[in-house]
Amino acid sequence: MKKFLPILLAALLALCPAAALAEEPGDDTPYRIVNEEGSVIAVIGAQPDVGDEYIAGDNGHFRITAVDHTARQATAQALGAYPMPDVSWLREDAQPVSARKKAVALYCTHSDESYEPTDGVSSDEKRGGIYDVAESFKKALEEKGITVYYSDETHFPHDAGAYRRSRATAESLVEEGVDAVMDIHRDGIPDPDEYESQVDGEETTKVRLLVGRSNQNAESNKEFAAQIKAVADELYPGLIKDIYIGKGTYNQDLLAQAVLLEFGTYTNDKEDVLASTGYMADVMNRTLYGGVSGAAGSKTSNTSAASSGESRGAWTGIAWLIGILIVGALIFAFLSTGRGKETLEKWKRTFQEMFGGLFGGKKQQ
Amino acid sequence: MSIGLILLAVVSALVLFGVAQRVLDKMQLTDRAALLIAALIFAGGLAPDIRIGRVAVNLGGAVVPLGVCVYLLIKTDTSKEFWRAILGSVLTAGAVFALGRFLPNEPEQIVFDPNYLYGIVGGIIAYALGRSRRAAFICGVLGVVLADIAVAVVNWLGGLSQTLVLGGAGAMDVVVISGLLAVLLSEFVGEIYERIVRQDRENHDAVDTPVRKEAQKK
Repeated sequence: MKKFLPILLAALLALCPAAALAEEPGDDTPYRIVNEEGSVIAVIGAQPDVGDEYIAGDNGHFRITAVDHTARQATAQALGAYPMPDVSWLREDAQPVSARKKAVALYCTHSDESYEPTDGVSSDEKRGGIYDVAESFKKALEEKGITVYYSDETHFPHDAGAYRRSRATAESLVEEGVDAVMDIHRDGIPDPDEYESQVDGEETTKVRLLVGRSNQNAESNKEFAAQIKAVADELYPGLIKDIYIGKGTYNQDLLAQAVLLEFGTYTNDKEDVLASTGYMADVMNRTLYGGVSGAAGSKTSNTSAASSGESRGAWTGIAWLIGILIVGALIFAFLSTGRGKETLEKWKRTFQEMFGGLFGGKKQQ
Repeated sequence: MSIGLILLAVVSALVLFGVAQRVLDKMQLTDRAALLIAALIFAGGLAPDIRIGRVAVNLGGAVVPLGVCVYLLIKTDTSKEFWRAILGSVLTAGAVFALGRFLPNEPEQIVFDPNYLYGIVGGIIAYALGRSRRAAFICGVLGVVLADIAVAVVNWLGGLSQTLVLGGAGAMDVVVISGLLAVLLSEFVGEIYERIVRQDRENHDAVDTPVRKEAQKK
């Protein structure tokens, strides 16, 4: 027992930095993202991290280079304008694609999220107002002829395990063969003005898109988010606030077209938020099934172009991950044998055992 | 393709190439059994969840991994090893529950993604308790399952009728990821640690042996 107690203690201590590096729970002061000149470019409820990316409303592309947790401020380096996808097909005489079933999935990981001015609380421990937003979005999508696989399952409590619990929900929805999966949230920044907007003269709130960069689908999900923003900017300027590409998975490793949508913030009126769901449904419909150039039924749809880019992104991510695993396996093999030559011999022997009959000449008896 | 499926594919490839032979030996599993388990996790994950009241259980995500845990527990050499694995699982469950409660709510605020953190914790605890790869898998799987049950009980006592879903994401579930990561981590850490110890002993013997022989001659 004495032998492993120090190791156990060391292991527990090793976990401490994870907790120490984390912010104090309950500290909901938002972070300001400033550019190199010190001007504020965004305010976010999520905690930024070095390497995160930000695509502003005007498509300015930034990368976080430093974070001061005490001042709750992140510095971002400007990378120029983000190369947004070409959505010129929206202006063409497009016809909706109706050849195949249109299907998307919706769920809410943070079941408590609510809108204080109308729900009375910002966090409802029984069932948050966010479900009303998800249901309104579902209805609007269905009006566009899209089959919506919606789960009203709750994932309480709103803690670090919420995404573990919502993973089963997300996976069961993905299994239905949907084209996209959306996790519906609201933001946690206190200033309602950050999200208030007008679309077609109607009072509404903006939508922030959040993409996780810690999974093999990160690149394809980012492209998907960019596609959504490009379509929305064309159809309903002011609807999409921005795109944040942050650390985390958000269960977006389950599908190459997965995105987290922040519908307003907790200080917005839910009625304004609900007004945005109709516009957002149109944007999603056009992004995913937008139409074809020329006559209906043509095989060259914008969707296939978007999908091919996203598949490329997904395969690049998988290739990277497999590459990392192979390097890990080589390091492991080196550690278990001790010398480079022995490692090589071991792999050679294994390979010969596996494929000895297929490659190489037959030995003379 | 999710991280769970990729991990399953990598483990299957390692088994096929014989690289995971020693790990499987330590887990008292044959190549065929390991591949069968991987296939069952994958296929079982596609089957609908079994629902009993407020509990839903997935075949691939929970029943198969839990079955493997039972098999590994039965196959333990000593009762000490058995109880170590049980203790490790309870400790892992406690750690998973505590991590959920005390770490920040948002994944971006945590160094590791929580979905991967549980396997890392399970692997470390199992290795610390007995340098066992078998126990690592048990801790990774049982730890997450027990923590999920604990969260559900707290929810139900608080008046929520939330469904307890065990392994609902099938091969992609945190239960599977956690079990596999725990084994991979304990093997990786184990190899490094055991190699350092072995090398130290060899160096010590190399210095010590001629001196001892000289002393014996005298």
